[in-house]
Amino acid sequence: MSAEAQSTRPAPPKKSVKPYLITIAIIGFTIFAAQQVGFSIAELGSNLANAREFLAKFWPPDWEWAREEVPGPLIETFQIAILAAIIGCLVALPMAFWASRLTSPNRWFYYIVKSFLNVIRTIPDIFWAMLFVVAVGFGAFAGTLALIIFSLSIMGKLLSETIDSVDPGPLEAAKASGARHTPAVRSSVMPQVLPNYVAYGLYIFELDIRASTVLGIVGAGGIGRLLEAQRAFFRFDRIMAVVIIIFIVVFAIEQVSVYVRRRLV
Amino acid sequence: MIEFRNVSVIYRGGVKALQNIDLTIGDGEFVVIVGLSGAGKSTLLRALNGLVPVTEGSIKIDGREVVGASSRELREIRSEIGMIFQTFNLVLRTSVLNNVLMGRLSKVPLWRSTLGIWPDEHKEIAFQSLERVGIVEKTYVRASDLSGGQQQRVGIARGLAQEPKVLLADEPVASLDPVTSHVVMRDLQRINQEMGITTLINLHFLDLARAYGERMIGLREGKLIYDGNIADVDDRTFREIYGRAITPDDIKESQQ
Repeated sequence: MSAEAQSTRPAPPKKSVKPYLITIAIIGFTIFAAQQVGFSIAELGSNLANAREFLAKFWPPDWEWAREEVPGPLIETFQIAILAAIIGCLVALPMAFWASRLTSPNRWFYYIVKSFLNVIRTIPDIFWAMLFVVAVGFGAFAGTLALIIFSLSIMGKLLSETIDSVDPGPLEAAKASGARHTPAVRSSVMPQVLPNYVAYGLYIFELDIRASTVLGIVGAGGIGRLLEAQRAFFRFDRIMAVVIIIFIVVFAIEQVSVYVRRRLV
Repeated sequence: MIEFRNVSVIYRGGVKALQNIDLTIGDGEFVVIVGLSGAGKSTLLRALNGLVPVTEGSIKIDGREVVGASSRELREIRSEIGMIFQTFNLVLRTSVLNNVLMGRLSKVPLWRSTLGIWPDEHKEIAFQSLERVGIVEKTYVRASDLSGGQQQRVGIARGLAQEPKVLLADEPVASLDPVTSHVVMRDLQRINQEMGITTLINLHFLDLARAYGERMIGLREGKLIYDGNIADVDDRTFREIYGRAITPDDIKESQQ
């Protein structure tokens, strides 16, 4: 008998029609949704034809006004972002350990903290800002509180998922030596996730800077309140100046943060 | 003295990992436990320090009952038992010294271990432990920069830093090459002889068991098949433990 006859080669698996059906369904839904929201390329094109007129309102940016008015709120934006990132990440540190199956002291703690983090994450940052404006009044304090919650929810999720995936061996070793839960986790799991923690912290600071630029729109302080005020007066040239400054600042911070994060992890 | 009395461990799902084990191990003994994967070797060691809950029976260490111990009693029992793992279980992102100091966690207050501020006498114990296994020059090196054999010696030093009465080694050389395996086995043997620490070692390979063991315990499907001097182990005993004759696969030297 030949070798071919002896070996039983498997028949190729049957081709499924599923991927095709899914692709058709996605295309169909996209077209349906576009019709529902009134998405029209023709309209977009005719509007773009008026681009010159449109852009003229934005150009040239009012730098003279910006020089006077932007620094104060811009610094406030920074302060909100730094404060919120630091406080949010500090509060998130123990919570992330409680929200991981590996390091939670017991199952109840795990479910409660995990659910709490899930719930606060479903509420968008701008909505938190609106809530805190009502609770503590207009201004940067409301914005800071909103972004603390925002930072906490993101760090809680990212870090607890990182903890879930670490090597559990060192923790078993620490437990086997008779260590209590907290010192065991601190010495065996913490060193494994510390670089990630710092990297996530920087990333969250980036997100906070971006988020704090729009908080002012709901009256929660920062540079966004300039946007809101000037929009009310149709001063698009001033808005343009603010937008350019925001762009440069956010871009610069991101570059530094990306560089530092790459060296960390 | 370690006493197993009628010990059974049944895992969720009904797997009988240990069945009615009776065993007495005297102070300072060097015991090798052999058996196939899944024979219950790991469970035997982990039942001893309470990492695996015992379903039935009694385990006493110097008269202290492990089965049903409160979490505080369990921590006290564990603090006197060093454990060495197949995969070393080091924290790779920190220094050798910090890894060895993990063996001292149960001896210092929470704030000290949290802030990493260790009293000099604890550091001294860590240094002495590293000297015992001959790698004190690596004290400030990151654990990830060490070879497998060096990492396992750090693992042993971490166990020694507990100043234990008992050392449990779960397949300590299964991840190492033959030459390094002998170095680590000799370390364990020397530590047992010099310090009189009762030592229980799970081994997969028979030649290592023969070269270093005095007393051998053979497990098969959770049952105690053999308990006696390793010099007396013949082919028949071997077949009982492994369910077949010796093949080159059972000898570490022929593994490369």
